[in-house]
Formats: sequence, C-alpha cells, structure tokens
Amino acid sequence: MARLIEELKKLPGIGSKSAQRLAFHILRSSDDDAEALAGAVRDVKAKLRLCSVCNNITDVDPCVYCSSATRNQRLVCVVEEPTNIAAIEKTKHFNGVYHVLHGSISPLNGVGPEQLRISSLVRRVENGNIDEVILATNPTVEGEATATYLSGQLRRTGLKITRIAMGIPVGSDIEYTDEITMLKAMEGRREL
Amino acid sequence: MALKESEAIVLRTYPLREADLLVTLFTRAEGKVRGVARSAKKSKRRFGGALEPLTYVRAHYEDRERQELARLDSFEVLESPLAAEMSYPRAVALGHVAELLDELLPDREVNDAVFRLALSVLPALRDTDVWMPITYFELWMTRLMGYLPELSECIMCGGGLNGSRAYFHVLVDGLMCKDDKRLASSEMSASSRSMAAQMFRSPIESFAGQAWTKANGADLRKFLTQTLQRHIEKKLVTAGMLEKISS
Repeated sequence: MARLIEELKKLPGIGSKSAQRLAFHILRSSDDDAEALAGAVRDVKAKLRLCSVCNNITDVDPCVYCSSATRNQRLVCVVEEPTNIAAIEKTKHFNGVYHVLHGSISPLNGVGPEQLRISSLVRRVENGNIDEVILATNPTVEGEATATYLSGQLRRTGLKITRIAMGIPVGSDIEYTDEITMLKAMEGRREL
Repeated sequence: MALKESEAIVLRTYPLREADLLVTLFTRAEGKVRGVARSAKKSKRRFGGALEPLTYVRAHYEDRERQELARLDSFEVLESPLAAEMSYPRAVALGHVAELLDELLPDREVNDAVFRLALSVLPALRDTDVWMPITYFELWMTRLMGYLPELSECIMCGGGLNGSRAYFHVLVDGLMCKDDKRLASSEMSASSRSMAAQMFRSPIESFAGQAWTKANGADLRKFLTQTLQRHIEKKLVTAGMLEKISS
C-alpha cells in the first residue's frame, strides 16, 4: 500500500492525501478494474511512441493524420504539444496535418530552439512537399517567440507561413476584454 | 485583510495545482512578492494576458494571515511585452531581466531604484537590438546590489587602471592590472570601461539610436555576469542563452 501511495504521489497535482484516497479506491475496486488500470499504464509505455513524421504521440507509425489519404499533406499546422491537436480537431474544419514541437522557447526554463523538434520541421519543408505552414503556438511570450523564430527558419520562396489569429473569444463581451487581446484583435482585423 | 494596490512587474509564473499559477511579482510598494492567481490557467477573465513575464501591471492583491503567499485578485495591464513583435533575442533578453530581478532581489524589500531601472529598460527592449539595454541593465543592477567593484583601479595593488590594460578573472572580485592578473584572466578593453562610466552618467534614452552589435561591451557583460553569478552562487540560465545568440 505504501509503495502504491508513493508511486501515485509522483503524478502531477497529486499530494499525500489524494494519493492515499486513490490507493484506497484501487484497493476497494474489483480485480478486473485494477488489472485494467495496470494494463493501461503498461500499454501506454510499451505501445505508444512518437510519429516519425510529425512527432505526435501514436501507436502506429506514421500516425493516423500523416498516413491519411484524405487529409491535405501539403498543409502543416505547427503546435506546441500533442494535446493541442485535439483542440484543433474539435473544430472539424482543419483537414491538414500537424507538426508537434514538444514545447516552446522558454529562456527562463533554459529551453532554446535546439531543445524543440524544429529540425525535423525544417527537413519536412526542405523536402518541398508543403505549401503552407500554420504556426499555432500559444499566444504567450514563449509561443510568440517560437512562432517568430520558426518563421525566420522556414522562410523560403513559395512557402506560405501563417500565424493563427488572436482576439476576442466568441460569446464574450468587448467591454471585458483586456488591452492586449483587444490590441491583437484590432491588428488582426479582416475585411468583410 | 485589506486589498493592496501597487504597480508591479511580473517576473515569472509556475503551474500550481490543477488550474492555479504561482506568480512572482516585483512590486513598487513592497518589493518582490509571491502570490497565487487562482484559476488563472483555466480562465483569463481576471488576469487576461497580464501574467506574461515582464508585463508592467497595476496589481491588486491581499496578504493572508499566517500565509507566505499572497492572494492575487486582479491585474490591470499598463504595458505588455506582447505589444511589440517577440523575436528570439528579445525573448531571451526579457527572460534575462526577469531572471536577474528574481534571483537578486530579496522578498518583501522595497527597492524603488531597481524598479525605476527596470521600467526604463523595458521600453528599450522593444527593439530588436538587445545588447545596449542588457548591458545597461546588468551594469546598473550590479551597482545597485552593491556588487560592483571600482573599475578604475587594480583590486590587488590599488594602482590606477585608466589608460592601461585591465583584466578580470572568474574568481576575483574586481579588475587587475597587467602585473597582478591571474592565469586564464580575460581582458576588459578601455572602451568598455569608458562606456560603463558613460552609462553611470546618462539615462538609457541617450544611448538609443546608437548602432550596437553583440561585440559592443561583450567583455563588460562577461565581467558583470561573472560577478553576479559569483554572488548568487549559481549560473544564470539566460546568460548562457544570450551567449548563444549570434548577433
């Protein structure tokens, strides 16, 4: 029991109390449920890997997006983390493929461009099979620095580099929008 | 407890629990303050983009009884680094300023001179040329913290260095003359020493418009970084990244 609690405490956001609660829940659950949980933990380490093309987490290589015949392989959306893909997929309006950087440039944490998966993106672009790269990093200092750095690295004739729009969330009120969001919304306005 | 209000500069944030952020702030009224911004990761309603490093804000916060961390209520952005394009050198330079302030300032100790220095340097860091504002900031920061030795005399023999060659060493707290320099010392040029003297006499705005490259004052910056690192007894993460920037 102590071993299980110690292991659970290593998970992000789990303190001693939560670890104890989870451990007792596992103790009380059926053998099948406990086995399923243990199996899932084992499988996630044994079967999942990074896609050799886009660095997304996948159980088949290349991943479902990179091997899809129906998706536009010439349109690449660059994201910071694999979890960002789910947010874009939810829109059901993006039919291109992805490239996952696994982080963003973060000087305070000692993360520079060399720690990110940028060289594989540059190689993809240099192979010449891409028409447009969408930079969908977060609208933070770190995300902006990453996007600016990437645009400098990828710039070549014929390649369109775009940055996702920033501005007021749908359903919100302009009155309550902060200054920077409003500034970005005005900068990114479009003609109707 | 009553809600406090102060101008502040956001230094850095760390994730805390599911959706909170632990924020380090340099406030004008109380010096460096650490506090928790509840639900800041989930909702942008109260803080918006105000928690980005080096954002100049008007902060509303309250201290809680017997608790070290303040409760951050809301921030109003006065000036954001995101208002100008965020190039890689600029991001590293801003990170360097934030790291120096975070590492050198003690908690809850008012330091208006450093606050004014930071406010004067931030606008200069809007441009792509980061070397002048970084040199200016490091120089003044070293002096205001009381770590800057006399640059015009040899720390070993006390002889004057004006007009002659000066050297520094990673383990020595000052400049040395040619006779007293240690093995593996670096040289600091006379032009860098005169630039430092000029920076002590003039506001940062008077250096705007001058063409600066990484080579300008590189020896002075190396000396200052070594001095600061020796006093905080650790390597500055961003100093190494600045070093790798090509121009």
